[in-house]
Amino acid sequence: MEIREPTPVELEQWEAEFEAAARRPLEQRMKYAFIKTYKPVLDDARFRVFDTMEEYRQWCDDNLPSWLGYGRV
Amino acid sequence: MDLTDAETAAIASGKDFVQMKNGPYDLDLVFAPDGIETFDDAWSRHLEIDGFPVCHPDDIIASKEAAGRPKDRESLPRLIAFREYWLRHLRNRQ
Repeated sequence: MEIREPTPVELEQWEAEFEAAARRPLEQRMKYAFIKTYKPVLDDARFRVFDTMEEYRQWCDDNLPSWLGYGRV
Repeated sequence: MDLTDAETAAIASGKDFVQMKNGPYDLDLVFAPDGIETFDDAWSRHLEIDGFPVCHPDDIIASKEAAGRPKDRESLPRLIAFREYWLRHLRNRQ
């Protein structure tokens, strides 16, 4: 899988964000890290179990909108 | 998050993947992550961050690379950049 290189501007911005996050206490970092946005289908059930990862991946392929990015490439 | 008896039993029965929503955070229990051969291997590399055991960045990156989904592909550049930043600035603090 090809992974893109960040631009120098992106890298500088990310490193500033990493530094800012490193100064925050863990509890605050956890609070900011999880921003809940509704994901169709995925968020429509409170609990799911899958016997295997292959089953989970197939369920994502079969059920989730492609734009969520959970499908296999 | 409160679990029903059936949900608790499902987790204890050895499923590879459990997905829980509607708690304070969404939580996935991944017992067989892509790109990580064994728990013991990953555990031998784990980090302790403020008292919490955390998967090593190398293993998180390996897992996302192995999963290869578009969402993983999008997050990997930032995760790799963080790993480089962590190695330079934070590793020796932990």
